[in-house]
Amino acid sequence: MKAARFDLVRPRDLSEALAALGATAGLVKVLAGGQSLGPMLNLRLVEPDLLVDIAGIPELRRIDREADALVFGACVTHADFEDGRAPDVGRDMLARVASGIAYRAVRNRGTIGGSLAHADPAADWVSTLSALGAEVEIASRSGRRRLTIGAFITGALATALQPGELLVAVRIPLVSAAARFGYVKHARKIGEFAHAIGAALVDPERGTARAVAGAIDAPPLVIEDALALFDRSSGLDREEAGRRLAAGGVEDAVDRHIHLEALGRALAQAFDATPPALRSAA
Amino acid sequence: MSAAPGARGEGVGARLPRKEDDRFMRGRGQYVADIRMAGMQDVAFVRSPLAHARIRGIRIPDDIRAQVFVADDLEGVAPIRAVSGLPGFKVSEQPVLAFGKVRQVGELVAMCVAATRAEAEDIAARVELDLDELPALYDMRLAREPGAALVHEHWGDNVFLETFVDVGIEKAFDAPIKVSRSISTSRQCMAPLEGRGVVAHLDRRLDQLTVHTACQMPHIVRSGLSECLGIEEGRIRVAAPDVGGGFGYKGILLPEEVCLGWLALRCGHPVRWIEDRREHLTAGANCREHHYEITVYADRDGAIRGVDCEAIVDSGAYSAYPFSACLEAAQVASILPGPYDFPAYRCRTWSVATNKAPILPYRGVARTGVCFALELALDAVAVEAGLTPEQVRLRNLVRPEQMPFDNITKKHFDSGDYPQALTRAVKAIDVDAVRARQKAGEPDGRRIGFGLSIYCEQAAHGTSVYSGWGIPMVPGHEQAGARVTPDGGLELRIGAHSHGQGLETTLAQVANEILGLPVAKIRVVHGDTAMTPYSTGAWGSRMMVMTGGAVAAAATELVGRLTAIGAHLLQADPADVRFEAGAVVGPNGDATVAEIARVWYRRPQDLPADAHGGGLEVTAGYKPVRDSGTFSYAAHAVVVAVDAEIGGVEILDYVIVEDGGVLVNPLVVDGQILGGLAQGVGTALLEEMPFDASGQPLASTFADYLLPGAAEVPSPRIDHMETPSPYTRFGVKGIGEGGAIAPPAALANAINDALRPLGVEMLVSPVTPRRIVEAVLSARESVSEARGAQRSAA
Amino acid sequence: MNAPVRLRRAGATPVALTVNGRAVAAEVEPRTHLADFMREDLNLTGTHLGCEHGVCGACTVLVDGEPARSCLTFAATCEGADVVTIEGFDDDALMAELRAAFNREHALQCGFCTPGMLVTARDLALRLAEPDERRIRVALAGNLCRCTGYLGIVRAIQQVIADRRARGIEPVSGEVRALGPVGARCATAAPREPAAPIEPIAAPSTSAVAVSDFAPAHTFEQSFVVAFPPERVFALFGDVRAVAECLPGAFVDAMPSPDRAEGGIRVALGPIAVAFRGAATIARDEAERSGRILGAGADGRSGAQGEIRYRVVDGPDGGSEVRLTVGYALKGPIAQFGRPGLVRDIAGRLVADFARNLEARLAGRAPDAGPGSPGLNPLRLATGLLFGRIASWLARLRARR
Repeated sequence: MKAARFDLVRPRDLSEALAALGATAGLVKVLAGGQSLGPMLNLRLVEPDLLVDIAGIPELRRIDREADALVFGACVTHADFEDGRAPDVGRDMLARVASGIAYRAVRNRGTIGGSLAHADPAADWVSTLSALGAEVEIASRSGRRRLTIGAFITGALATALQPGELLVAVRIPLVSAAARFGYVKHARKIGEFAHAIGAALVDPERGTARAVAGAIDAPPLVIEDALALFDRSSGLDREEAGRRLAAGGVEDAVDRHIHLEALGRALAQAFDATPPALRSAA
Repeated sequence: MSAAPGARGEGVGARLPRKEDDRFMRGRGQYVADIRMAGMQDVAFVRSPLAHARIRGIRIPDDIRAQVFVADDLEGVAPIRAVSGLPGFKVSEQPVLAFGKVRQVGELVAMCVAATRAEAEDIAARVELDLDELPALYDMRLAREPGAALVHEHWGDNVFLETFVDVGIEKAFDAPIKVSRSISTSRQCMAPLEGRGVVAHLDRRLDQLTVHTACQMPHIVRSGLSECLGIEEGRIRVAAPDVGGGFGYKGILLPEEVCLGWLALRCGHPVRWIEDRREHLTAGANCREHHYEITVYADRDGAIRGVDCEAIVDSGAYSAYPFSACLEAAQVASILPGPYDFPAYRCRTWSVATNKAPILPYRGVARTGVCFALELALDAVAVEAGLTPEQVRLRNLVRPEQMPFDNITKKHFDSGDYPQALTRAVKAIDVDAVRARQKAGEPDGRRIGFGLSIYCEQAAHGTSVYSGWGIPMVPGHEQAGARVTPDGGLELRIGAHSHGQGLETTLAQVANEILGLPVAKIRVVHGDTAMTPYSTGAWGSRMMVMTGGAVAAAATELVGRLTAIGAHLLQADPADVRFEAGAVVGPNGDATVAEIARVWYRRPQDLPADAHGGGLEVTAGYKPVRDSGTFSYAAHAVVVAVDAEIGGVEILDYVIVEDGGVLVNPLVVDGQILGGLAQGVGTALLEEMPFDASGQPLASTFADYLLPGAAEVPSPRIDHMETPSPYTRFGVKGIGEGGAIAPPAALANAINDALRPLGVEMLVSPVTPRRIVEAVLSARESVSEARGAQRSAA
Repeated sequence: MNAPVRLRRAGATPVALTVNGRAVAAEVEPRTHLADFMREDLNLTGTHLGCEHGVCGACTVLVDGEPARSCLTFAATCEGADVVTIEGFDDDALMAELRAAFNREHALQCGFCTPGMLVTARDLALRLAEPDERRIRVALAGNLCRCTGYLGIVRAIQQVIADRRARGIEPVSGEVRALGPVGARCATAAPREPAAPIEPIAAPSTSAVAVSDFAPAHTFEQSFVVAFPPERVFALFGDVRAVAECLPGAFVDAMPSPDRAEGGIRVALGPIAVAFRGAATIARDEAERSGRILGAGADGRSGAQGEIRYRVVDGPDGGSEVRLTVGYALKGPIAQFGRPGLVRDIAGRLVADFARNLEARLAGRAPDAGPGSPGLNPLRLATGLLFGRIASWLARLRARR
């Protein structure tokens, strides 16, 4: 299928982009790398009046180092992380996740900001950045604001972005040298959207032990007190984690089991525990 | 032809890289979407969003009325009818544009034409359908229940055809072992990387409708177009350009082809329709959806006493042309016994109409399903009898000394050593080491499983098999044209079409075997009704047997013509010369094909007075000595590691022992086996087109319909046996489909072997992570319930 | 009856880029993707389209020297980009090695995936340090081949990598490349004023739409508590227009009778904006303080049926508890999108908004505008398919079960 007709503007800088976003009536969509929006346009699932192409805007293709965080422009690509052009907040945490997103040809154009703004619960960045405690920076003609990932992603494919607003950067806190990151993505084949994601950040120096169950058809379930749910010898407290997943909407027992596995395995990685031996016969 | 195959380096048996590769690797293939014609316009279709509905109205805004065509506009166009002569078959008429009712999601309702595809889709989006929804038949088992809605009202039920065969099943009833299973294979899409596509235009000079179409059988499409459009076959030319994979999907006449043909005649300018992926997945023909209720009766030593089966095939809404809606189910009944010899058999089949796309023969056709059903059931027999899977199979396989062998359904196995294939596979995979590893357990907790399957594949079956089916197409002699060019090259003309199998190379090898001309100087012209002899096309693993045989026959006839002229040029008695390596060799010298060609075309004054007027151009026909088909076969053995908690399956080792008779090109044969294996892995683990209760297909993109990628497919070890067929030229057998037949059964058996200690048995393909986890959890639940019951009893 | 001839494409924008080393200046429609631009306008048909949603990889080309999906890249955004298609590698030494290896290893059959496969293979031959089979297989995930089973492809790539490393050719790293999507450069001209919005087409009449019973494909239950007595809450449920105002995106056009409303609901599934327009029937049971709103509607290509069953019971502290059972069934592309879980999440949030707005309204405050679908043009989406007369068969079907 071919996309329905739309108009396109290519602003030269951020202020022109914000002006274009704010000025137009009708359905306006932001086009960054186009790797999530492109298929939906081609399938005519989305029929915007106007696309605002931000992929070339220099302000969105830069990285700033702050004392305790790295600030990535929205148009930094997955391949930028994969190849190390974008610095990592810890030992290859971002690179490891980025290199597992879709396929190389997609990673060469797909962006971290675009992925977050699309807010597909099964997307890698949504879960990863929740685990890393990241924030997004949002700009509009009337100013800027910051939101945590949890506040930004309001539902499946839904964000707190208001008309005229643009996600301009992602701020990811640096972790200590002792920090460990666990990431388990369950999919039926390489490059597929995840059916379950487990992500966990354990940073003893900063007192962080955060775990995330993602790809649950809703915003990821963030567990801030992962220490209470995981023990290095006995592994995940499946009953409690299962209760939280159920409360988070994962009602189907089979789904819940798979999510618990992903979560438990990610936590085992992050706690550097031997993965709990898979259960033997019933 | 005394020389051993392959002796000359390029003939039969040579592992020759393909001639056709270069153009594809430079982006210079010419697929149907690549054809450019002045004034060409694009077509997009308005398709039914509902599975089953009455059409109450179609609203077309006035400003686009001239660009939209509906059923009422298609005056004189007849529906597609693919009847079967089998008794009791009910006829479905497939309208080329829906009329009265729509019977599947994606059914064509209106045709929109514009300067570009995007604009045609804009127009299609503005056509409104007023539909009155009817209950959708989304499950073939429900469709057979009394009171179900009717796909074709005048039938009175939803059964295209019921078949029944009983060979003394009651003799098996007292067997000590009786194993019954319900086994299903899910609906699949064939998904060649290139979809279908049509470019049609009117050749005004020849007054001929020219249809370029991505198809496997151009001559059959021409007959179908002639029937539907009501114009004589001579006024239609069908040409298949480069075709981007077929696997059966391009082996039917499409309503889109009829529509485009009509439109080209109507509009006077070229028109094009290129199927997109969404159309392919949601609207195009499907395959594989079978359900079996199978019972195997056996003795304690594993000997099969009888097989009793009821099978249902979901045939979809219409009978596809030319194979009909019943090929699949009827094939189930005739081939379910597989490579085994046993004394009693009963099978009842139903081809059921539902509100889904028509079913088509996909690589392997029903063989993949019956192999899955029988081989899973045999593993269950092995468990029951306390035997290994290989012991049960070896106890029942047809033995080499029985060949040729007529099995219980009168299939005539031509040659082979089935037990040897199985034994070699078991040995190659080192089953003892696998069992030891399985017993030791994996450090990561995954479970090791070993699986086997073996099948035999009837291929290249001809008139005697197909005439009984009474479908629109019965293969007879296959023909090939061969022409020596004035400069001593060779042109071969064949009516079937290569859609990736490498016929441009392999048929040249066959001609090389006989004529000795270098493969580089042999060109294959194929797939164009204007330039080739009639052929039923590329299907049924028949190309190398049938077309290869025809090419050999044509080349052999040329040898006679060349020899007669050559002997004259050498001033030798024809009895004293022989044809060898591209030349006529006489006692005092030789005459090359090029020299003979020069004389025939350029210096006819030098020809003998009695030279054959047919010259250096022949069309020859070929049929094997027996046309009941060749029987290639293979044993597949696989080792998997299963993660029972999350449902992951990793293929650790895969062995294939294959016997395809004499191999014309082992490189190409391995390619067919490897490609089939990948599709078999898809069937086993990934591919499924689910439907909801309103008949909506739920996988409309490749993000939902999962094809195996490089990381999901193993690197198998392939071992060849080469038992010649006694009935075919060179002893070749058809092997195109075999690779896709055995993997689902072998993989499911391996997964079941791994999970058996958990009390889990997977009987539905694909075996997905979710299905595995679901089964594991439910097995745990029943175990804990049983324990609970024990406790309370105590 | 022949189609009108249109020689100029509406809304075309100029773009200049380099294709296979040649400067190309053209006017393209913004919606034309790079693959179509190369195939249809430049007659470079070696780039193939196998899915047009970025999965199959047949359309992979080099953009600024890196593999990219030409089906997910709009030509008009490629100003200044350097594009190389399969036709541009005739004189490329590495591609010549790959072609020889592909031929030797029978790495292609039908040839349709081959151009994209070779572009990816070349990228791997450049980047991978070692001919590791697993890494190559994983890296080929974005290029589907339906014919070969991949073994020949993997072996061909392994051979080329091994051979090059043996010749001392080092792998390349991407460390020097600029950040951001390949092919995207900053625009140099001031952005054009967007063209006038496309004129809405008149909405079809909904008078023909009948609503009857149906079997929902998905149902879920939700309840909430409001601090108002049950009789007031139940009374509010009797006011269809008020209920619609509490449901984000819903609108009522007409109420031809007390038990029938015509209107629709606009829902955003992320970027997917759907506006179902149709009709609803309303039933109420005063004694039970329960009721049911049953609706059917369609947008351009998709259809939906939905029902809300509600029951108002006594809640804590003199308030009410509202128990909702929401059921729905989707038809057409929206149903075939394959992610029913997402729809459920959206429906759940809709109900949560509804509860909040209901409470606000009872308290005399104006309901929130709600997230709905900002900027959505309902008329634009209201054209197309009419799923009229969702017939009474569903009731029959249900009775049978």
